[in-house]
Amino acid sequence: MTDKVTVTFAADTRNVALARTVAAAMAARADLPLDQLEDVRLAVDEAVTQVLLAAVPGADVTCTFLVDGYTLQATVAAPTQATEPPSTTTFSWTVLAALVDSAHSSVGDGVMTIGLTASRGLVDV
Amino acid sequence: MTLEETSSGRWTDAQRQHEHAMWAALEQMAPDDPRRGVLRDELITMHLPLVHHLARRYRDRGEDMDDLVQVGTVGLIKAIDGFDPSRGLELSTYATPTILGEIKRHFRDRTWALHVPRRLQVLQAQVTECSDRLTLELHRAPTVRELAAALEVSEADILDALDARTAYAADSLHGTPDDDSIPSALSTLGSMDEGFESIDDRETLRPLIEALPDRERAILQMRFFQGMSQSQIAEALGISQMHVSRLLARTLASLRDGMAQG
Repeated sequence: MTDKVTVTFAADTRNVALARTVAAAMAARADLPLDQLEDVRLAVDEAVTQVLLAAVPGADVTCTFLVDGYTLQATVAAPTQATEPPSTTTFSWTVLAALVDSAHSSVGDGVMTIGLTASRGLVDV
Repeated sequence: MTLEETSSGRWTDAQRQHEHAMWAALEQMAPDDPRRGVLRDELITMHLPLVHHLARRYRDRGEDMDDLVQVGTVGLIKAIDGFDPSRGLELSTYATPTILGEIKRHFRDRTWALHVPRRLQVLQAQVTECSDRLTLELHRAPTVRELAAALEVSEADILDALDARTAYAADSLHGTPDDDSIPSALSTLGSMDEGFESIDDRETLRPLIEALPDRERAILQMRFFQGMSQSQIAEALGISQMHVSRLLARTLASLRDGMAQG
């Protein structure tokens, strides 16, 4: 079963909670156990915060959640003037990367993107 | 002259006599006598150290001390307004339960914020209990679907309950003192620096992490530098996975705030 939800909101820290809530709902659709669900919630919080910090003032942040079976993919993107993706040697990135199975960041065409993937462990399925 | 200024922390005879004289004067005054307000203000000021003293008992519960003192002062004022000196009690004796009552009510209201409906509060408690039980059965944390089936509610209800918990997370007043300590085996965890070598902002981070309570620091290390899952940490610390999740979220938020300021 494939399921896709996209939310777009103004680059304002007040909207981070919104992204967290949608992330948790989508993690539930991927049937992730509660601890992984909470990890995803925290990871999306970190990702949105990082993208927000680099976003052009007044820009929109777009979060896309894709559920495919027991896998959740989330991408967080916003227009930026940065030319480099967020450093992967910060504490924030260390936390982000530890919370999900994989995390990547990129900047291209003036848009910063952070992508996350969380999959339910095969052992449980 | 205030309570705290006396070496023993108790009223001196002179202070007590002064207060008794104030009450006697109040007794004589007509209800609309403007001097009543002055005496009332002085009584409030005199007893503020009692409010501070009582509020300090709750200082580690994650609430701002100023807020606690403020609600405690509301309790003090209520006590002063309702006090009947003819009954032979000291005001401090009479006011203590009223002040504590206001502080405790503040915690109830705040931690279960005014915005969380009663139904969700009940459901949240059920989710925690059910999650612990299913974790034992399944040897892993349950999914939202499994919780919904077990509690015979919708998955949306489970998500609401989880959301309410993270949105209004605050330290529980019901925790026992043991709840805040960590097993001794964990207090000897290796230095966090090992996992930190590759982190650029570790110098900003270090004082923030050192300032964390032992348990929060241990959770951070186990989750991010030892790769343990929330469930494994919960088992190691003898607390629920949901509690681990709550502490982790709070710790990360506080580190982020600290780094933003630093």
